[in-house]
Amino acid sequence: MVGNRAARRIVVIVLMLAAALWVVPIVWMVSMALQPNDLLARTTSNVAWGLIPWPFTLDNLGFVLSSGLTPRWFLNSAIVALGMTSLVLVLSSMAGYAFARIPFPGRRLLYPLVLAGLVIPEQAIFIPLYTMFAEWGWHNGYFALIAPRLAVPIGVFLMTQFFRGIPDYIEEAATLDGAGRWTVFTRIMLPLSIPALSTLAILTFLYAWNDYLWPLVSASRPEMFTITLGLASLQTNFAQSEGLGRVMASGVLASLPVVLLFLLFQRQVVRGIAMGSGK
Amino acid sequence: MRRPHVLSILLALLLAAAPAFAQETTITLGRFFGACDTPGVSIADAVGEPCIIQAIVDAFDAADNGVRVETLPTDWGNYYDQIKASYAAGNAPSVHVMHSSAIPEFASLGALADLSEHLAAAGIDTSDWEATARDAVTYDGRVYGVPMDAHANLWHVNLELMAAAGLVDDDGAPILPSSPEEMLEHAAMVRDATGASYLAADFAEFPIGVRLVMALAWQQGAELFGDGVSNVNSPEAVRAVETIVALFDGGFADPRLNYADSQQAFLDGESAILVNGTWVVDFYGAQAANTNVALTDYYAADFPTLFDTPATWASNHLWAIPVTTQRDPEKFDAALELLAWINDQNLAWSRTGHLSVRTSVLESDAYAALPHRDEYAGTIEIARDVQPVVRYDAVQDVLNRELQAIWLTGKPIAQALADADAQVQDLLD
Amino acid sequence: MATKGRVLTETAAATSRVARRRFPWRDAAAGYLFVGPFLLAYVAFLVTPFVRGIWISLHDWNLLAVSINPDAKRFVGLDNYTRMLWGDGIVWSLDHQLVPRLAGVVIVALLAWWWRSGAINRSTALAGIGATLLLFGLLLGLHPGEEGRWGDRRFWPIVGNTLTFVALTVPSVTLLGLALALGLNRDDRASAALRTAFFLSQVLSVTVVTLIWQLTFSPRQGLIGHAFRTLGLEPVSWVTSIDLAMPAIVIATVWWSLGFAMILFLAGLQEIPAELYEAARLDGAGAWATIRSITLPALSRTMSLVIVLQLILHFQVFGQSHLITRGGPNDATQVLVRYIYQTGFRNSELGYASALAIVLFVFMLVFAMLQIRASREEG
Repeated sequence: MVGNRAARRIVVIVLMLAAALWVVPIVWMVSMALQPNDLLARTTSNVAWGLIPWPFTLDNLGFVLSSGLTPRWFLNSAIVALGMTSLVLVLSSMAGYAFARIPFPGRRLLYPLVLAGLVIPEQAIFIPLYTMFAEWGWHNGYFALIAPRLAVPIGVFLMTQFFRGIPDYIEEAATLDGAGRWTVFTRIMLPLSIPALSTLAILTFLYAWNDYLWPLVSASRPEMFTITLGLASLQTNFAQSEGLGRVMASGVLASLPVVLLFLLFQRQVVRGIAMGSGK
Repeated sequence: MRRPHVLSILLALLLAAAPAFAQETTITLGRFFGACDTPGVSIADAVGEPCIIQAIVDAFDAADNGVRVETLPTDWGNYYDQIKASYAAGNAPSVHVMHSSAIPEFASLGALADLSEHLAAAGIDTSDWEATARDAVTYDGRVYGVPMDAHANLWHVNLELMAAAGLVDDDGAPILPSSPEEMLEHAAMVRDATGASYLAADFAEFPIGVRLVMALAWQQGAELFGDGVSNVNSPEAVRAVETIVALFDGGFADPRLNYADSQQAFLDGESAILVNGTWVVDFYGAQAANTNVALTDYYAADFPTLFDTPATWASNHLWAIPVTTQRDPEKFDAALELLAWINDQNLAWSRTGHLSVRTSVLESDAYAALPHRDEYAGTIEIARDVQPVVRYDAVQDVLNRELQAIWLTGKPIAQALADADAQVQDLLD
Repeated sequence: MATKGRVLTETAAATSRVARRRFPWRDAAAGYLFVGPFLLAYVAFLVTPFVRGIWISLHDWNLLAVSINPDAKRFVGLDNYTRMLWGDGIVWSLDHQLVPRLAGVVIVALLAWWWRSGAINRSTALAGIGATLLLFGLLLGLHPGEEGRWGDRRFWPIVGNTLTFVALTVPSVTLLGLALALGLNRDDRASAALRTAFFLSQVLSVTVVTLIWQLTFSPRQGLIGHAFRTLGLEPVSWVTSIDLAMPAIVIATVWWSLGFAMILFLAGLQEIPAELYEAARLDGAGAWATIRSITLPALSRTMSLVIVLQLILHFQVFGQSHLITRGGPNDATQVLVRYIYQTGFRNSELGYASALAIVLFVFMLVFAMLQIRASREEG
């Protein structure tokens, strides 16, 4: 046992070193966001390879928050992520409920057809989607950024699986009391499915916040950029070097909501990933 | 008591009428150059491409002309992708910047408004344009844009390193090579005296290497492509590539530097020469004045003639108006007015280091007095643009890939150029 | 309680069966009303674009030209596909790429041997042998003859780059994720904190990841460069070196997506009954023996899941290549999705880009079938 405990201690030390190595790039980004721009133009390794923000300044964060389009991008990301999340929740839970619990004619055919959509990735259809939305004049609008994700059947799959697991008698007791489908769904099924819904919500939110390819083609006007896309546009300006500190500050701010969300809802995120991959 | 009363009534009336005067037309403007990090500076105080263009546009926006300009600063990397996407999505900006090399593609598809009949009325005197610039915005005899500059490759020189190698003449100008062989001799002299590399450039990312090879081919009297024929695999092209590869083989240059790294190497005093465009002259001048930067003695030299004919790669930035803008006469007029204003500010834009495209500016004393301007006065004479090609972007990409294959992977020159030749020919067909 | 519940259920079921028989249209109406909104989105934003993508891929379709004049497209049949997959003067010869193709012989022999020894079943073995013969025997023997050349000489190298990226990323992420999960599968605070540390990078967006790593790799300004100089080494040019550019984006990707694999393995570890470990301990098995004889076999389903999900995810890599290396140098990190994006939006060739996208879909389909197979076989 003593040998075991010593071995465990070595493992923990190795893991802690590895974890430190793992977060160093993030620390570095934060540290650069907190150093003056003109210093960074000269050197990025002022103190301890630049890992310690000295001299320290909040100017970059202040600049990014007060000027330029970053606040607008932030707002766009929030609108898109929240809009997408709520719509996905509504559509997926309704469809999932029907597939799991309403014996309507054709569902045995329809459900596999819907699941078949899982094999069509966004990357395979973004060009036709682009031309369709162009014809409809949707680009550079919020709905254009939200819509493609509404069709992805992963949410329907998750919700159907979840609703199938709810025992029959709960619903049927309510039906006996004369409750209609809609009442059963909103009053009984939805409250029961909060774990699944929160999982789906977090996964969708993270996806929306981090999506890059579709906003890149759909939003061609900077005032419609999401923060993820806006950050990319700052990066490709590197050659012009408009201030490393400011670019890094944008990166820090862009990450803040998702990191906070993750730290607050770590359990749901983790379960969501496990569930979302069909475990 | 009466007079102020009357005055205030008058004032109120004026204010009430103001919205009628302020019927503003809003136009959108698409450009690259990056965002200005010191917003709000005046034209006279602005430094660097992003801020000078922003100040010019801001001044127009603020002027009492009934036009509001909404700048859509777009990043460099995806600029043309996004401009095309905006055309396709039906919301192209009212006016946007582009390169002369992109004119054939856009104009041949009918994407751009034909400005030929409108420029004079807008107060733009095309006869003041320098001839090559006028050609650059002309496609099939029609004018599709207002040129803003000519930008060419220069040899940016660290005089301190060159002096240490004995490569500065009595006038304080650098001694640059006049043949490939001499270039290697100079390179060895610099290394022996200072340990620095001779020449740095972005050989690994943006197509600066392509432009170098094109210039060296032109200097031998050869075009790499044009008139629907690829001539990429010519003896002249081989010679041009060999000239550059000799630098790598001798250890006088590093092919793995990208744009940012090559620039940094030059500013850090690790390379005597940097091949880059006119757009950084004011920036490097400012860096040399900064005591924290290793580069102290900066000189902007014309691209030297290593073969027979002087030549350096050049292109033009120009402003164009999409046909879609023309459907709204008010916006079209406002856009033309903005172009006329930009055309008037040619001297301010030239402060970046770019060459002016207006004869009146080129001949002015103020222009000649710009920093370092006398050092590369010859560039306007030797500047050459590529032959008009509809799919120029793709052609340039092919050349950049195959050249990188040569100096980064050791692909045999003959094979790389043969491969490039076939692909370029496909794109020209 | 239990009996009462069951009785209630049975009555309810009986009643509702009656109700259903009486009003089947009610179920039908309710069902379609509930499914309707999603179906609408599904048809409009997934099925339609998919079909339309196939249609576009049969055209010579210039993005700019068609946007100005909708009639500027031209039907070209399968030309885009022949340009991608074929060329002029393509010939087949037995000795082309002989060494890699000999590997095919080895694979066939291995499959046959596994089949005989019962490690894999007959259909798997035959499918594997068939696929290997097709790929190594037939397809790898194709090459341009003397005067011939591929219609798109970049296509196969780009597919190769994409597969290389996948081949480097997936095993690294899987093995490291497994190791971390084994080390951190404990209920103490330290393990929880370490799990958070390793997972944190996973929630960052691709553009933040590329922002960090683009600079980290810079030989002059980057963190790795600083470390190298401190150690007295010459910093390397990661993203512009032909050999290091691909490893660079693989490193950034492994850093980014390791947490995902770790979480899945942790979930898998939770499902292993504690009695198994207890039994192993009573048998006096050491830590390594326990892992080998209990943990790894129990994780095999998770393992195949992790691998297939990574295949699907990383085959669609875009941002890392687009933002860190710009596909270079010399196409060394050009990947399929970036090629589709550039063909469509930089070169305006929407028809050809759509054809490429369809081929991407076919690849994904194969991976998805692998996934279904993996989850069926073990689950």
